[in-house]
Amino acid sequence: MESFIVTDPLEPARWTEGIIPGNARVGPNSLINGSLAFKRFRSRRDPGLTMGACCTMDGVHFAVGEEGYVEIGDYCYFTSAILLCELEIRIGNYVVIGWNASITDTDFHPIGPAERIADAIACSPLGKGRPRPEIVRRPVIIEDDVWIGPNATILKGVRIGCGARVEAGAMVTRDVPVRSRVIGNPAQVIAEL
Amino acid sequence: MESPRKLPWDWYDGTVPENVVLDETAYVETAFSFYLYRSKLPVGVKIGRGASTYLGTMFDVGPRGHVVLGDYALVHGARIICDAEVEIGDYALISWNVVLMDTYRVPCDVTLRRRELELLPFRANRCLEAEAPARPIRVGRNVWIGFDACVLPGVTIGEGSVVGARSVVAEDVPPYTIVAGNPARVIRRLEERGIHDG
Repeated sequence: MESFIVTDPLEPARWTEGIIPGNARVGPNSLINGSLAFKRFRSRRDPGLTMGACCTMDGVHFAVGEEGYVEIGDYCYFTSAILLCELEIRIGNYVVIGWNASITDTDFHPIGPAERIADAIACSPLGKGRPRPEIVRRPVIIEDDVWIGPNATILKGVRIGCGARVEAGAMVTRDVPVRSRVIGNPAQVIAEL
Repeated sequence: MESPRKLPWDWYDGTVPENVVLDETAYVETAFSFYLYRSKLPVGVKIGRGASTYLGTMFDVGPRGHVVLGDYALVHGARIICDAEVEIGDYALISWNVVLMDTYRVPCDVTLRRRELELLPFRANRCLEAEAPARPIRVGRNVWIGFDACVLPGVTIGEGSVVGARSVVAEDVPPYTIVAGNPARVIRRLEERGIHDG
C-alpha cells in the first residue's frame, strides 16, 4: 500500500498516530502530529491532500469533505489549525498558521430559509438518501509567506496575498492585499508591511 | 520541603518542571499545562497564593520566557505564549481559550522568517527558536478577561478592567474600564468604589 511518495533521500513524511491516507501525498521530512489529524478526512479525490517537503503540522485537523482538495507548499508551520474544505484550499510556501485558527471554503449550509429547512431534513437521521440543496463553495487561496495569528478565521472565497499578516482573532471575509496587516471583525487593513 | 513535582490528582503522566515555583496553596489541575514549556530561567513560572490553573491552560513558554501568576488569580484554560514576560495580577480571572501572546514567535522580516522555517523541520523538537520581537504583557490586578479573547504583544491591561468575550486587545486598556470588540474599544468606565475598603 502506497502511503506517500518520497521524492528525496531525506526522511520520509510521518504521521505520529498512524499511516497517512493513500490519497494524501506528503513530501519528505514533513511531520503531522495529533490523533485527530485525519479523523474527518473524507476526500475521495486523488490526491485529496498534497503537502510539500519539510512541513510541521502540529495538531492540525484536515476536515476535508468527499469533493475537497487541500494543497500545502513547502516549509509550512501550522499549530492546531482547522482546515474545513469542501472544494479547494490552496496554501503556498513558508506559511505560518497559529493556534486554533480556522480556514473554510464553505458555510456548510445554504443561506435561504427554505433551502435551510430542506438541508436540516436531509442532514437529520430521517433524511436518509435525500439529496442536500446546493451549498456555496469558493476556493480559499493563501499565498507564500503569509502569517495567520491564533484564533483567526478565514472564510470562503478569500485570497490572502504574499507576505500578508492576519492578526490574532481576525475574521477575514474579503481578499487581503499583498504585504498588508489586517485586524478585526470584519478584518480591515491597518498597515502596509 | 520541596513540593512534589508530580500532582497527585493528575490524569497526565508528567511532572511540573523544576523551575516552576508553585505556592503550596495554589492549584494546578494538570502538569499537561507544561507540555510546551521550555523556559531555562531559574524561575520560568511563578504561581501565587491561592492561584489556580485548570484544564486547557498551556504555558507555551520559550527559553527566556517568564510568567507570573498573582495571588488568587484564576486561569481557566488560557494559552500563554511567552518569550519575554507575561504578568497576571492578583485576583485576575482569565476565561477559556484566551490567548495571551507577548511574541509572534516568527520574525516579521520575510527573509529571516524563511530562514527560521527552513531550520525548523531539522530540529528534533520542531520548536521555533528564532529571535522574534517580544514585548511583555501585563494584566493588572482584578482584571477579568472573557472567553476566546486575544491579547496581543506589548499590551497592558489596567487594574480592575474587563475584556469582553472574543475581544482582540491590540492597545493598552486603562484601569477600571470595560473594553470589547475586535479590535477592542472602550465601552464604559467602572467605579472603583468599594475596592480599597479592605
